[in-house]
Amino acid sequence: MNGPVPPPRIAVAGVSKSYAGIPALDGVDFQVPAGVVHGILGENGAGKSTLMKILYGLVRPESGYVRVDGVDLPGGSPAAAARAGIGMVHQHFALVDDLTVVDNCILGAGRGLGLVDRAAWAARIRQFAGRLQWTIDPQARIADLGVGQRQRVEIVKALLAGGGQTRVLILDEPTAVLTPQEVDELIPALEALAAGGTTVLFISHKLHEVERLCPTVTILRRGRVVYDGPRPERDAMTRLMVGEVPPVLGLHATASPGESRLEVRNLEGGGLHDLSFTVRAGEVVAVAGVDGNGQEPLIRAILRDARAVTTPGLAPEDRLGGIRRLGLIPDDRQHEALVLPLSLRDNLVLKEHRRFPFATSWGWLRLGRWRAHAVDLLTRYGVRGGGPDTPAQDLSGGNQQKVVIARELHRNPGLIIAVNPTRGLDLAASADVLRALAAARDAGAAVLLIHHDLEELLAVADRVLVLFGGRIREAPSRERSAIAGLMLGSPTP
Amino acid sequence: MSAGILVDALLTGAVAAATPLLVAGLGELAAERAGVLNIGIEGLMLAGCFAAFAVTAATGNPWLGLGAAVLAAMALGGVFAVVSLTCRADQIVAGMAVNLLAVGGTGAAWRILQDRGLTDLPAGSGFTRGWTGIPALGELPVVGPLLFDQYGMTAFALVLAGVLALVRRRTRLGLVLHGVGQDPHALAASGVRVLGVRWGAVLFAAACAGLAGAYLSTMRTHAFVPLMTGGTGFVVLALVMFGRWSVGGLVVGCLLFGLAESAQQGLQSLPGARVVPHQLFQALPYLVALIALALAGRSAPGPAALGRPWPER
Repeated sequence: MNGPVPPPRIAVAGVSKSYAGIPALDGVDFQVPAGVVHGILGENGAGKSTLMKILYGLVRPESGYVRVDGVDLPGGSPAAAARAGIGMVHQHFALVDDLTVVDNCILGAGRGLGLVDRAAWAARIRQFAGRLQWTIDPQARIADLGVGQRQRVEIVKALLAGGGQTRVLILDEPTAVLTPQEVDELIPALEALAAGGTTVLFISHKLHEVERLCPTVTILRRGRVVYDGPRPERDAMTRLMVGEVPPVLGLHATASPGESRLEVRNLEGGGLHDLSFTVRAGEVVAVAGVDGNGQEPLIRAILRDARAVTTPGLAPEDRLGGIRRLGLIPDDRQHEALVLPLSLRDNLVLKEHRRFPFATSWGWLRLGRWRAHAVDLLTRYGVRGGGPDTPAQDLSGGNQQKVVIARELHRNPGLIIAVNPTRGLDLAASADVLRALAAARDAGAAVLLIHHDLEELLAVADRVLVLFGGRIREAPSRERSAIAGLMLGSPTP
Repeated sequence: MSAGILVDALLTGAVAAATPLLVAGLGELAAERAGVLNIGIEGLMLAGCFAAFAVTAATGNPWLGLGAAVLAAMALGGVFAVVSLTCRADQIVAGMAVNLLAVGGTGAAWRILQDRGLTDLPAGSGFTRGWTGIPALGELPVVGPLLFDQYGMTAFALVLAGVLALVRRRTRLGLVLHGVGQDPHALAASGVRVLGVRWGAVLFAAACAGLAGAYLSTMRTHAFVPLMTGGTGFVVLALVMFGRWSVGGLVVGCLLFGLAESAQQGLQSLPGARVVPHQLFQALPYLVALIALALAGRSAPGPAALGRPWPER
């Protein structure tokens, strides 16, 4: 009866790793028993990704060890990690788009280079998916699958790699790309896996999901374990993750909105149906919705001067080649907002570089002014990690977004459009972005915020609209579940 | 009576012209599937062409020549791989450099051969047609001229095409090749060594190009002249694209081009063709290739990571 105590399912001891002399992980210790869902929390840059790479054998630690059921994990080889029973689901899916599900599973979970038996693999895929109450079509092409389905393929692939013996399944930010409903469906599957004896490591910075799923957590900050044990309350978790951060909740306006700055009347086309709404000075109007429900055509219509869109109060010189010049924070900052190889000086002056005082009337660029302008904005908006001559690509995502915000907001535009402005940013950087939008609103700007994250959206929105299937409707209340229902097309508001 | 003979001659010529294109094309197909655009294939063929001739001329053994062609092309292909894969230089520029290197290198080495009087193969040392050694097979209708009255390289090319098609569709190696050219990030995350796969594909392509070059100087002709490949390598690049990176498409493309080549040779020998400059006839297959490429190229996407270095930053 009282046999020896089994070793922990996974034990991490004294693991350190540094890049170019900067420690990414510094003496990380924790242990997780078999059959639990354990959360690993931390901000971007806290060392989560490095830890994951070490656990999966992509990176060799400089010191310390990882043991699975008491056996040392040889570093530096994903194949060895897979043999030791570790399955990994990457944040950016490791699936080849133009291949089928079964071919991807053979690629990711198979060994050797010889002949493949697709029928046998397809049967195993169905069997593994069935255990999690999922249906997966092994013959479907990845390109034809939605994000949620792709993630299921990734999880099944990871389980297949372990040949049914997967002891540890690592999920790196698994819910970052999922809709609330897909998250709801993922969670019981992970619980079923844990009940079957697999240990699930759930890497995330979304606290409400960690609260639903993980009884125990390890919290990393700046490469060190700052907490390891039963899950603390949310406020305590936040403090442990980011240190002291002023809350972003309750950034709604107190003053009443002023004159109308953006009017959309009966906008049609591009999958949109009879869209009407108004954004007035001094308010943040947020458009909630799952990506792909009409956000793209709506943004295009506003920028491209569609006839149904009017912008009272926007000066005529604020138009350029049929495109409105307004404070625009686009979805894809790396391609649509910044020119990555260019310096911050150049990026910050874009849109104004041919105007006084940055150029003379005969086209001479006054680079000294550009530099002074950049130095001024970088200080005022607290951009860290580079000076005027640093290429934009060398900054972290959060600082890149600060550069975009500095350029777009420093001239106090009357109308601001922000699309998913916190995508990919950690809590502290997200809070900075939301606060900047609220500050612009308080200074009198009209803000249209099209955002996928409901929690953040509610923190700053004065009014909430919901976009579903190309139609828009105003949310009757700020209640989360009601808005989430509208986002999924529930008929009753 | 003469119609049948004419058709036979046309088809025989087509297969003979298609063979080196197919051998080199299969190698290039593998490399491009793995994401490497090797426009140095022309130079690799030229290197193989020269090495096969030189070693056969010196030793009198064409098999040694064939081996030398493979080694020479792989050595030059290795240079391309070091520059474009390991050092991550632009693949087009590196490929162009390989072409120029091959032109200069074979040109200089040809001078040395001339000085030593090795400008002809010893009598009877080149390969001959009828690879089975059974002349009766060559007399068979249709398949005789198409398959058996050819050099052994033709049979090898067809076998290689079959093997490659099988590898592409039925093996994990085929999936790995495809994945490395389509989404190297995904493969690297699964623990596949992307650069290793690409190196292998480039060396395979080089070996194939070397064989195709040897075909030109020790089979189809028993001679070498500088710049002998005359742009064949670039035709191969176009044919791989024309075939939309599939083995079957490549085979069809090679046969079509071979047919055009064979037809222009036939046209040149027609009575009365003298009044037209022969260069116009020689340009005909390339014109056909251009038209075919224009018609076929519209919707061919190709491997997504083709020509991109790895790792990307």
